[in-house]
Amino acid sequence: MRDDHQTLKDGDVVRRYFAKFRRIIAHLGAVTKAAPDWPGPMGEAGKQQIELIAVYLRRLAWTFDALSYKYLMAGHLSQHLPDQLDIDKVESGFPVYRELMQMAVDRAQIDRHLDRLPSAEQLRRQIVDHILRERTPPRRLQYAMSQRVYYERLAKGDLFLAQNDPEIIWLGNVKGNYRRRYLVHWGVYDSARNLPMLYLMILEDTGKTALGHDERRWPAVQNHLVAQSISELKLLTIARGFDADFPDIHPKLFRRIQIGPMRSNAFTRQSGLLAEVLAEADAPPGLDWALSWTVESLISKRTETRSTGLFSSVDTEVYDIDHLDPEAVDAGVTALERGLILPHRAYQVLMHREPAGIPGLQTYVVGDDGVVMAA
Amino acid sequence: MVDFDSSIKVAESEIKEAQRKIAEMTGRIESARTQIEQGAPEAASIDIENATLDDVHAHSEAMNANIAELIMGLDDVTAGFSRDFDALREKTGWESFVGFFSRGKSESMREERIRSASIDDKLQELISKSDVIINILQSQLGVLNDHKDRVDSNLGATLTERETVVGELEQIRAKIMELDPKIIELENRIGMEQDAAERTKLETELAELNQGYNELVQQEQVMLAKSQTLERYIEKGKSWVDSLQNQAATQMVLINKLQTDTKQRVVLYDALTKSLKTAQQQDVAHRINEIGVKTDQEAQAAMAAIGSATNQRMAEMMEKHEDHMVFARKVLEEKAKSDERFARRFAKIVEKHDKNLYGAAGQ
Repeated sequence: MRDDHQTLKDGDVVRRYFAKFRRIIAHLGAVTKAAPDWPGPMGEAGKQQIELIAVYLRRLAWTFDALSYKYLMAGHLSQHLPDQLDIDKVESGFPVYRELMQMAVDRAQIDRHLDRLPSAEQLRRQIVDHILRERTPPRRLQYAMSQRVYYERLAKGDLFLAQNDPEIIWLGNVKGNYRRRYLVHWGVYDSARNLPMLYLMILEDTGKTALGHDERRWPAVQNHLVAQSISELKLLTIARGFDADFPDIHPKLFRRIQIGPMRSNAFTRQSGLLAEVLAEADAPPGLDWALSWTVESLISKRTETRSTGLFSSVDTEVYDIDHLDPEAVDAGVTALERGLILPHRAYQVLMHREPAGIPGLQTYVVGDDGVVMAA
Repeated sequence: MVDFDSSIKVAESEIKEAQRKIAEMTGRIESARTQIEQGAPEAASIDIENATLDDVHAHSEAMNANIAELIMGLDDVTAGFSRDFDALREKTGWESFVGFFSRGKSESMREERIRSASIDDKLQELISKSDVIINILQSQLGVLNDHKDRVDSNLGATLTERETVVGELEQIRAKIMELDPKIIELENRIGMEQDAAERTKLETELAELNQGYNELVQQEQVMLAKSQTLERYIEKGKSWVDSLQNQAATQMVLINKLQTDTKQRVVLYDALTKSLKTAQQQDVAHRINEIGVKTDQEAQAAMAAIGSATNQRMAEMMEKHEDHMVFARKVLEEKAKSDERFARRFAKIVEKHDKNLYGAAGQ
């Protein structure tokens, strides 16, 4: 519908597209295993954060799995109907945001659909009957089957949705049990970039009731954080606003992980160095991709106390941003890390063109045998 | 506006009625076909009169008008979005009241409201509502295509049959043509024959020929009747297929319009909300990270100043958001196309809808 949106009509293309994602996400899982603990002042939860990323990656894989069933037979039925898969071919290489939102709507109506569709067993019998009697491909039945599998997959849950509400993990108490420390994590599928974004926040809570059990504050916190999870907003902006709106919550560390964009010679039309590298590598299907990711981190450097009345005061976090680093200032973060994973053949071309590597980019290579190595 | 759920119920029951009528119509066509097959072409009283067809058409028109109304109704639902956008720009009554005493406090209250604002729920509601309509339309489209296929295959068989009948008719006519000169020749010979015995023989021959001739003429009549019945049947069947095809095309236009609209709206509303939120917040947070608490007063003043500056910017953005949103021209073109198709088919409803809107605004 938009110039940069592409509709994948052919079932085989849809299948190849998602198969590619399944492989890439599996490689990313290997990257999280290979990654060291996250250093920094809040290092104690570093391992936990990386494990959480692996959880979100798994959910993302399931989501793409579900979508691949949803659209498996779509192109075979008719030119116009039913709706077909749209991907963002210019920027992200991922399915467009609306697909995920549509999935949320589908999810709300699982029961109705599953009740209406014949059971898998019935469908299988009908398919066999059709093949034997009519001697034509049973497209309609295959479509019904793909929809059945899709809704069953949705019913199982454990998916990456357009909006994954914040969850909270208690990390322990600090300063003589006066403050509770929590790790809050959530994920959204960003609508502007058509990419999955993970958010991790370590915060200290000085409220009377523990935040995780506070029926008054916790829903408000969830709502606030999700409503603010916009890729255009800098981490600093989100953290400052959150700190201001909830006086007894103190965000100490805030991370945003953007997974993507994905580039592929077959599916996407990006420009720039990587696109050229992929074109030059001219690899066979399955080896013609590159996926990058970005980790933004914002860490509090000190706390200032301001009195708000005769006996009350409010803590405000001041975040550590290096004013001499224009990139950090511009992004409103303490640290900005970028990663890239690509198959060996494309990596060789990349090294040939840029022998020193791309500055500030941690590269991972998938070998011929599927083993992931840090380059 | 009429309640969405009850409108849906009305549309659903109307569709059921339409499907019943369509099934009845196809049923008649099929039973006529069976009668023809049972070799009683004269008995196959094809009671598919134009009146019945008109009835089906009238009903499906009413039904589509209803659905078109429902789709226009979605426009009214989406008007709610622009209220939300306005709310993001303007201060609430309470905020203005607070602003009377403290401008900074009032700004910070508004900021807090903007930070927790989200239209995702509304977007999902929009998608699910248009989904409900699309489902109805698609099921109707399925039924129409189904019937079209059935009648089509029926017609195919009938067409072949008619060809055979016409072929036979031709053969009979050829035989009759062959007989004509023979009969004339015999008659001539009888007129010239003097011998009585020979004459009697020729007369018997002529009687036989005449009998054969009459039989052939009778057969010709039967075949002609059969061919005409089949022809009538095919004619009726064809106009039914045409009608089904036309109805299916209407469903496609409706579905297409709805899908394009919804896709476009989701992108537009989402982008607009997020731009509004971003414009409002970004500068503020940056300036005050390092100002610290000592200059709290200054910070609030700065916030208020930036607040009103961004407010101005947001107002401008609202006004020209369509070209601001880096919207590929293609979307608008596609929307224009589907709108145009929609308008062509539903001119009357659109007119009525607009009139209602203006009527309501005038009151």
